[in-house]
Amino acid sequence: MMQLLRRIRRIGRIAEAAPPRSGTGAAGRHPPGGSHQEAAEARAAMAGSVQVRHVDAGSCNGCEIEIGSAFGAVYDAERYGARLVASPRHADALLVTGPVTRNMAEPLRRTYNAVPAPKLVVAVGDCARDCGAFAGAYAVVGAVREVVPVTIEVAGCPPRPEAIVAALRELTGR
Amino acid sequence: MSVAAAAMGLAMAVAAVAAVAAVITPASRRQPVVGVATAVAGAAGLVSGVAAMAGSGYSVALPWLLPLSGLAFAIDPLGGLFVAVVGGVAVVTAVYGIGYRGHGLGSRAVQASFPLFIGAMLLVPAAASAGTFLVCWELMSLASLVLVVTEHRHQPRVAQAGLWYAVMSQLGLVAILIGLLVFAAHAPDDGFGSLRAAAEQLPPAARGVVFGATLAGFAAKAGIVPLHAWLPRAHPEAPSHVSALMSAAMVSLGGYGIVRVGFDLLGDPGRWWWLLVLALGAGSAVYGILQAAVHTDLKRLLAYSTTENMGLVLVGIGAAGMFASAGARVLAGLALAAALLHVINHAAFKALLFLAAGSVLRATGTRDLDALGGLRSGMPVTTALFGIGALAASALPPGTAFVSEWLLLQSLVHGLPAAGTATAVTMPVAVAAVALTAGLAVATFVKAFGVGFLAKARSPAAAAATESPPTMLAGMAAAAAACAGLALLPALLLPAVGHAVAAADAGAADPAVRSAVSLRLVGVAGSLSPLLLATALLAAAAAVLITVRLVARRAGRVAPLWDCGGGPLTARMEYTATSFAEPLQRVFDDVLRPELDVDVSHHAESRYLVAAVEYRRRVPDPIEQRLYRPVLAAVAWWGSAGRRLAPGSVHRYLGYGFYGVTALLVVLAVTR
Repeated sequence: MMQLLRRIRRIGRIAEAAPPRSGTGAAGRHPPGGSHQEAAEARAAMAGSVQVRHVDAGSCNGCEIEIGSAFGAVYDAERYGARLVASPRHADALLVTGPVTRNMAEPLRRTYNAVPAPKLVVAVGDCARDCGAFAGAYAVVGAVREVVPVTIEVAGCPPRPEAIVAALRELTGR
Repeated sequence: MSVAAAAMGLAMAVAAVAAVAAVITPASRRQPVVGVATAVAGAAGLVSGVAAMAGSGYSVALPWLLPLSGLAFAIDPLGGLFVAVVGGVAVVTAVYGIGYRGHGLGSRAVQASFPLFIGAMLLVPAAASAGTFLVCWELMSLASLVLVVTEHRHQPRVAQAGLWYAVMSQLGLVAILIGLLVFAAHAPDDGFGSLRAAAEQLPPAARGVVFGATLAGFAAKAGIVPLHAWLPRAHPEAPSHVSALMSAAMVSLGGYGIVRVGFDLLGDPGRWWWLLVLALGAGSAVYGILQAAVHTDLKRLLAYSTTENMGLVLVGIGAAGMFASAGARVLAGLALAAALLHVINHAAFKALLFLAAGSVLRATGTRDLDALGGLRSGMPVTTALFGIGALAASALPPGTAFVSEWLLLQSLVHGLPAAGTATAVTMPVAVAAVALTAGLAVATFVKAFGVGFLAKARSPAAAAATESPPTMLAGMAAAAAACAGLALLPALLLPAVGHAVAAADAGAADPAVRSAVSLRLVGVAGSLSPLLLATALLAAAAAVLITVRLVARRAGRVAPLWDCGGGPLTARMEYTATSFAEPLQRVFDDVLRPELDVDVSHHAESRYLVAAVEYRRRVPDPIEQRLYRPVLAAVAWWGSAGRRLAPGSVHRYLGYGFYGVTALLVVLAVTR
């Protein structure tokens, strides 16, 4: 036991350096029109611990599999301070996937309102960024940023877990 | 003439006046007149009982009042305790009854029966001869029967409940009658004094018959399993203040009878009888509260809770008897004091709960918890008072039942080293039963209060509920004040309970050292201070609130309740009483044997699409199904078999008479 503790203390954290906290990240792309200043302040207030609520706004569940993977044993996003929670009341950030459908636009808005300030929104996947293959469909309202303010967008259909982890690290700064 | 006798005479006179007034006053003024007069009679009864507990006894014989045996009354502290309980409950229910209107409630017969019922109940613990006792007992049963069937014109179920109640109370009377007659046959007359003197010479078999028969009769009145079947029927169907009277006062007279006959008159019927009493009590306590936990009818739930509480009283009585026959008089005194204190506590909180249930019934017209909810806004006072009653009933500090159940547990726990294998085996089981009962009682009353009064209204009737008239609230408030007093200052009452224990000749006179704030038990290690406990709880709650206020840095923000984003929360999303009790029902599946029925109907176009799911659940009383059904079937068979003997032919009837006389003569000729 003591040996293990000693080894943990000696080795410390093994991870690549966190992506820069401001400006355009390596993995994510900040959407036009978002307030960088506010987002930076919010990230600073969270001090390395971001509780994340996932909202499926109309996704095909491809992104959900990758999010599951990002929080799984291999990528383990929790070691960087991001954690999935079960209610927006417990959350600092929303992880939104899919094009926003007509049925989910209002629930998404309400979920956003239910998150205590300061709050962040991550739009995961091409659909969340610009409706992807569903652009122009009659059931789709639009991209996530047309419904709620978005801090970071993660590209990919679906995005790889590394990209999701990198975006989350940008929020936690660890 | 002592205070107790004068007050009792006054109570009887006023009750008689009230009964007469009910017949002669016009309908518009009948309820106030009868209510006030009955409350005065109850108050006089309370004074009489308290005076008797303080030592002001009396004895009066009225040989001219009834042919053959006459009437004899005497009161000692034991009887005084029950007179006081009846008087106290009578006051609150009579005040409540002034404003309680309902179908048929204002009729002459019902209003006249109410003071008669109370008068008879006041006389039962004061009776000093077997004949007097039986007359008062029967008068009490008949008057209460009239009150139970008040609403029979409006609901057929009421008549059914009345029939059950009538049959079981009359059978109980027959059992008591047999027991007391066998006893009196061995004594010069039927006065309790002569019975007491004759108990020494009673042969063991007769002793067993006396105690067994009276125990059956008294247990039926106390709603003890398996003789409880009338109780969950009659209590819900009676008007609520009558339910309160029956549940809080009349039912506990069954306990009085067992103590009076077992300890006072018989001396000691034998250890195995007391073990039977204890086992019946423990079984009733657990079974009653289990049924209460899964039932959704508010008054039926309270009725089953009465079975539970009477079970606890019988546990105390049975334990006291076992200790007394083993020679441990200190423990016996403690156990009996716990049982008697529980009678008082139960009277206070059950009167309050039934009255509050009546207030809900008046406002919403339903007793179904699944159709209630949201009464907090419409009926704030009733909600607060029911909350007090629910806390008092749930055996948690600072509740009322907590004190007596703590005393009961103390006596059972300390009873282990007393003596005998029976004690050593019984006591741990009894402790477990009492503890399980206490836990289930908490779940039951959380359900009753949380589902019934808080959250959103589940029906339009519950949403439109309005507060009851002030007289009803006054009755409930008085009961709530009694609950609070009993919860915080039981130490003031215990010396008087000690006198009652001494009067029953069961154990040491004073089970607890008197001091205004704390109970310290004599002879066994244990002390409790309900007042300090309540103060500490309040102080802790206040400290937490103040700390949160001070520590919270940000001002709170007002946000709508989180509804998962899907739209407004509706009452259909709430826990119902059925769903709240579902885990308990699942755990105790083998005991309760619920009948479940799930119907899934599919869409017309595809059977993969579900149109509706219908869930139905019934929890029939398994004891009733197993025990009463066969007996009722046998009686029905016997009846139809007997009918074949009477086809309506006059010749045959004459033949019966002729052959009967001939057979009798032949028998006489042969035997002489």
